[in-house]
Amino acid sequence: MKSVITVLSEQVKYFYLLRRLALYEIKIANKNNYLGLAWELINPAIQIFIYWFIFGFGIRERQPIEGDPFFPWMLSGIVIWFFFNPSIIEGSKSIFQRVKMLSKMNFPMSLIPNIIIFSKFYSHIGLLVIVMVLLNFLGYPISIYYLQLPLYIFGGYLFIFSVSLITSTLNTFIRDLQMFLQATLRMLLYMTPILWATSSLPVWIQTVFKINPLYYLVEGYRYSLLGKEWYFINHWEYTLYFCAVTFVLLLIGSVMHVKFRRRFIDFI
Amino acid sequence: MEKTIIVSNVTKKHKLYDNTSDKIKDILFRKGYGEDFYALRNVSFEVNRGEVIGFVGVNGAGKSTLSNIIAGILPETSGSVTVKGDVSLIAIAAGLKENLTGRENIELKCLMLGFNKKEIQQLEPEIIEFAELGKFIDQPVKSYSSGMKSRLGFAISVSIDPDIIIIDEALSVGDKAFAEKCFNKMKSFKEKGKTIVFVSHSTVQMKKFADKILWLEFGRVKEYGTKEEILPLYEEFIKEYKKLSKSEKEKYREDVLRQLETG
Repeated sequence: MKSVITVLSEQVKYFYLLRRLALYEIKIANKNNYLGLAWELINPAIQIFIYWFIFGFGIRERQPIEGDPFFPWMLSGIVIWFFFNPSIIEGSKSIFQRVKMLSKMNFPMSLIPNIIIFSKFYSHIGLLVIVMVLLNFLGYPISIYYLQLPLYIFGGYLFIFSVSLITSTLNTFIRDLQMFLQATLRMLLYMTPILWATSSLPVWIQTVFKINPLYYLVEGYRYSLLGKEWYFINHWEYTLYFCAVTFVLLLIGSVMHVKFRRRFIDFI
Repeated sequence: MEKTIIVSNVTKKHKLYDNTSDKIKDILFRKGYGEDFYALRNVSFEVNRGEVIGFVGVNGAGKSTLSNIIAGILPETSGSVTVKGDVSLIAIAAGLKENLTGRENIELKCLMLGFNKKEIQQLEPEIIEFAELGKFIDQPVKSYSSGMKSRLGFAISVSIDPDIIIIDEALSVGDKAFAEKCFNKMKSFKEKGKTIVFVSHSTVQMKKFADKILWLEFGRVKEYGTKEEILPLYEEFIKEYKKLSKSEKEKYREDVLRQLETG
């Protein structure tokens, strides 16, 4: 518990540093491209088009899904995927890539995964706004249900941060983890109702799918953006489950991080 | 006299593993795996404020390890290091981002060192002026020559006004004029009463600059004292050591280490 407080208080105390370094992160990533920052949006746009074409236009033959047209249905869920996927991948690499350039040991090490996540968060907010505008044109206007969205954004952020604390620590001595993560994430995309609705499956399989916390986040985003219901209240058991999982992961991540952080540089 | 660096009984142990699974086992289990390698053994010394201390020793003596531990970059395995004030380690082109311009690197580095925007704005012209990069300051660092990189690294490290400065072989790169400039900067630091740790192979620089010499040999302190006492001994030793053949050097190393173990 003490580790959790250490880690979280570092995030608060060095928030200014976090924000500035996250901006540099974006700068470094897009420096060599002519289109620069625009790639943060072009890339998701291309993927969304392909997924829509294959799953919506092709496989589903333009039929509605769970009572909604496919495109807005997919858009409202996939938006968090473009935050989740790169944050987890880059977040896990963050420490071993950067530890060497830290010229001082008293740099708050737990900031490093968060810098990456925060830099992805900027483009997530951008993408989210665009998705909201699009949905307005597609017949899903702003509704009272938007109010629950910050909960899922915050929950999602905390979940990604907790996972990254664990993976970035493990990654300093087990580099194979990166391969494992990539494979898992590729699988997760299809195990979550992002591109297809899982409601056609037997109930027990759906329950198994729901073990995956990303499931909760995707549904939460979707119900808010499409203005359907108060998801976190109507599914309060699932909300509790998500909170519990996130907290346990945060606990494990913080303990591991604090335990090993002095020795990171020795491992590499 | 106030002590600014107190190093007592510092030991640094590296592990050498035969394979990667040993590494994981070593981290997870109490029982140690892998072979121990001592980069430093029971190193103790103290430095007073305003002194310049030089680390000398042949390759692999542990000079860089020791300076990294004092700078707080590497953790020590056992023993303790007390350092009073801010430490700045100057190594060649340390931690520059290749993709960013010189100016952006200055900002980034200063941010990481804990400066705020306003302070960085004040520091920036001074750093740029010292680094003498001209137009290149707004070019990505990957287009720099190695001399330019080290100039930039050096300029950042000295401009942040640390209390303790560790220079790890950084003065041996770059041209004469710049080395002279760095030397003058170091002298002014010395006059201001800052503590300087100086790692170099060059006994000429040591003679000019250092007050005290710490002579390291295979990770332990061989001699520690004023430069007048130590440097002649060291030069004598180096002359002899250079004459030895490779196998004799190896034998010498083994003899010393055996002596250490038997106490």
